[in-house]
Amino acid sequence: MARLELDDVRKVFTDDDGSDIVAVDDVSVDIADGEFLVLVGPSGCGKSTTLRMIAGLESVSGGDIRLGGRSIVNKKPQNRDIAMVFQSYALYPHMTTRQNMSFGLEESTDLSDEEIAERVENAADLLSIPELLDRKPGELSGGQQQRVALGRAIVREPEVFLMDEPLSNLDAKLRSQMRTELQRIQEDLDTTTVYVTHDQTEAMTMGDRIAVLDGGELQQAGTPLECYHRPANRFVAGFIGEPSMNFFDMDVEGDRLVGDRFEYALTDEQATAVANAGTVTLGIRPEDIAVTVGSEATADNEFPTVVDVVEPMGNENAVYLGFEADPTNPFVATVGGMRQLDADERVVARFPADAIHLFDGATGEALHNRALDEGAEVEPRV
Amino acid sequence: MSDAPTTDGEQSGALAGVREDLAGLDGYRVALYAAVLGLTAFYLTPIESGLVTAFKTNPEGVSSTLPFAPPPGEFFTLEKWETAVQALGRGMVNSALYAVPATVISALLGSFAAYGLTQADWRARYKAPILAMFVAAIFIPYQAVLVPLSQFWGSVPLAEVLTPLWVAGVPRAYTGVIELIVTHVAYGIPICMVLFRGYYTTVSEEMIEAARLDGATFARVYRRIVFPISTPMFAVVLIYQFTQIWNDLLFALILVSTESSPAAPVVLILAGLGESQEGQDFALRMAGAFVAALPTLIVYVLFGDEFAEGVAS
Amino acid sequence: MRDILSSTRTRLRRALRGGDSDDDAVTDDGRVATDGGTAAGGAAGAAGTGGLLDRLDERIGEDFTESAVFWLPPFLLMGLFVYGAIAWNFVISLTDYQGFVGPDYSDLDFEMYVRAANDAGVIEATVNTFLLVVSFTAVALAFGLVLAILVDRDIRFENTFRTIYLLPMSLSFVVTAQFWLWMYNFNNGVVNILLGTVGIGPINWIGNSQIVLWAVVFALVWQFSGYTMVVYLAGLRAIPREHFEAARVDGASTLKMYWRVIVPQLKGSTISAAIVLMVFALKAFDFLYSLVSGYRPPNGTDILATKMVREAYSVNNWAYASAIAIILFLMALSIIGPYLYYQYSKGEL
Repeated sequence: MARLELDDVRKVFTDDDGSDIVAVDDVSVDIADGEFLVLVGPSGCGKSTTLRMIAGLESVSGGDIRLGGRSIVNKKPQNRDIAMVFQSYALYPHMTTRQNMSFGLEESTDLSDEEIAERVENAADLLSIPELLDRKPGELSGGQQQRVALGRAIVREPEVFLMDEPLSNLDAKLRSQMRTELQRIQEDLDTTTVYVTHDQTEAMTMGDRIAVLDGGELQQAGTPLECYHRPANRFVAGFIGEPSMNFFDMDVEGDRLVGDRFEYALTDEQATAVANAGTVTLGIRPEDIAVTVGSEATADNEFPTVVDVVEPMGNENAVYLGFEADPTNPFVATVGGMRQLDADERVVARFPADAIHLFDGATGEALHNRALDEGAEVEPRV
Repeated sequence: MSDAPTTDGEQSGALAGVREDLAGLDGYRVALYAAVLGLTAFYLTPIESGLVTAFKTNPEGVSSTLPFAPPPGEFFTLEKWETAVQALGRGMVNSALYAVPATVISALLGSFAAYGLTQADWRARYKAPILAMFVAAIFIPYQAVLVPLSQFWGSVPLAEVLTPLWVAGVPRAYTGVIELIVTHVAYGIPICMVLFRGYYTTVSEEMIEAARLDGATFARVYRRIVFPISTPMFAVVLIYQFTQIWNDLLFALILVSTESSPAAPVVLILAGLGESQEGQDFALRMAGAFVAALPTLIVYVLFGDEFAEGVAS
Repeated sequence: MRDILSSTRTRLRRALRGGDSDDDAVTDDGRVATDGGTAAGGAAGAAGTGGLLDRLDERIGEDFTESAVFWLPPFLLMGLFVYGAIAWNFVISLTDYQGFVGPDYSDLDFEMYVRAANDAGVIEATVNTFLLVVSFTAVALAFGLVLAILVDRDIRFENTFRTIYLLPMSLSFVVTAQFWLWMYNFNNGVVNILLGTVGIGPINWIGNSQIVLWAVVFALVWQFSGYTMVVYLAGLRAIPREHFEAARVDGASTLKMYWRVIVPQLKGSTISAAIVLMVFALKAFDFLYSLVSGYRPPNGTDILATKMVREAYSVNNWAYASAIAIILFLMALSIIGPYLYYQYSKGEL
């Protein structure tokens, strides 16, 4: 059984001048056997460092990493029963695909040549690259190299796969294709996988669960939809989803939120949730904003706005709206691709009460998340 | 290219300007090639003059013809080449005896050191002084170590250790060859290390990490990954190092000392070639120079690019 | 040792406190124990069981002992022959060692340095060394830059020309000394014959102590300007083409473009080439020895390198020669030291 546990894992780098940089700050995640966990976050958030600590390529400054219940922090990388796929693929340029894939088995196991050959060929079949086995990396395309790098990890039959942005060097089309394929392979092999990416599309579509990191700290670990609909804090809410959630800083005044540009009426439930906070951040996803043509706001939480810019994306349009009173800092709403809106057009934007998120103004923590219909979760927009 | 000519703004003026520009361009290319060819003559003249002189009789042919003109029939001779080959032949063998092993060993050790100091994961703070010592050692004038070097080799009982060789009929003077191998290796390591280091720092770190994760030890990574991919750099280092060791006179002079020694390297014999009571035999000197330079010239002609890369870094 | 002790102590303390290691990663002496995969809780037990080598690894870095197999033997061999020998050389220079009886290390003083300071020969050699190094380096740099710019101007057969210009560099000093001895020959040398066609000379290049040093410099420039060219060429090729084009668009003439845009960017190339050239010049011993096939170079060309070897191996003034060697070494050090510091400050060490 290969359950992978990160327990208060910490990494402190010491500069030559003696100052410390905390790269990973007490991260704890529990990854079940066969689970596909995506570590996601902006660059410099510590996700790669965390992965490298699991691999043993970086020492651990504090905390523990357990694989199948046993601590591995004092083991050398080669003794951890872990295989890693690197961003640059890191293929050995002087070896053929076959030699690249055999290398790890030759170095770390006592398998006979025949057994190694068999495993390599099985893996090659799985990845549909048997015809590439006798070519060298220099003769392969980026996508093919990517498969060889995967194959090199697969033949090892390790307890855990670690993948460090393995798709980031592929072009967009190939990337989405490999994304699906990687998921299929992972499901077939049922091997515990930790996958690092800065691309939230990959995070949303590939992971059984995702762990969002920022500034070395774990922000939230949960299923993709949990992170999308029930973000733990403002950072997660803003990081997951494209275009990003709109945020407005507001003061709490009873059951109303008062901002520079508009006021918002809260439901009783929402008012209770924010009762102890002085200021809150109101968040709403672009697709939840209802846009109607016209200039008269007829109900609460409807705001007259002016279209600033329209970005057509085919299936939908991203519309940047400025409040009529103060058109600076426009917010974004998405509408169906067939709807025709033009710049400078006057429209009314409605922020439905069941779609808004409220975050503590000081800590960013979620005070209230949107309402979800029982069993009718919308597909995440990514 | 000259400054763009000023035009008076009229169509014809502009056209004339373009034409002028083209003419200027041509003149510029002509001057460029003239300069390049003139420099070629400058670099080749000493060599050409030496080459034709080596085929002339001495003193008649040498003194009565222009130094850069080929020998006319009556002054043409191959005698000087025969003499030079005779005089330098054993020197060539001796030089090869220490230059080849010293080159190979210093390249290997340099590669080891560079690998241990670049790809290994230990603190830069501790690495830097060691690296600095390697780099500084390249620039040490050898005069600063000569006296201790003589003392050292004088006190090492190398001759006794090698007794089996002398019993087998090798002249005792060949201790000098062994000393030259060790000496050239020791002083060759720094430059080899720096050349390899330049190459190893460009090797993908992820690839080395991948190999470590694949279960290879530090030594196995060298054996199976780093060494095989260093082949181009080995070519550069071997060629550069061979040229340096073959060409060096100072250590040969100090450790073998006389050109009459049976173990005398070719440069040592060449330095005294063609000197006699009657004056200098330039034809013989030139022939000797070419014979002595032959191995490095061959290496240079065949592997000029690798050599250029070696000196550039 | 103290470091190892203190970090072990920290480790023990942390183990006692269990997993709660929020801020005690920083030890009381301000250092941070980030090394060696130490960890709280279950991991801490392993730290004590390792041997000295493991602890060294923990202190210095994971691969320290494993990599030592690779770099330590070459380092020791090199260190012994280079730094050990220099130290020994210094000690010898403090003795009165001469002739065939070994050095007496019991009586050390700076007598040899005093003697060197009062020796007109040493002073002359120092001046000559200085003149040789400076003029050779400056001319070879300038010449090499011109060569590099010419070769870089999209000429045909560029490779052939480059190969020819670099050719002398592959030859031994002993060989080039023969060539230039013949070039400078009073009656039949190419130089005097060419100058004769324009009515100059003949000049006694080797025999005239006033000009022989410059003749040597010229020959050395011939041999090594190809090297400078290669270094500059690499530097020029590293400059993005856009800089040439931008300067062209800005209307700069070719000459101005090189002077104001390109040459300043070659600073790094210039520095590294200059260092190597200076070291070549300090090693010009081989060339001067071969000119006369003896320890006594032509009058007017005696440099510290030749003087040192002559004192040692011709007249067996070992201690005195060692003192001269130290002077030469210090000259070299005054060039290399700042260079190494420059490299270090650029983070290239």
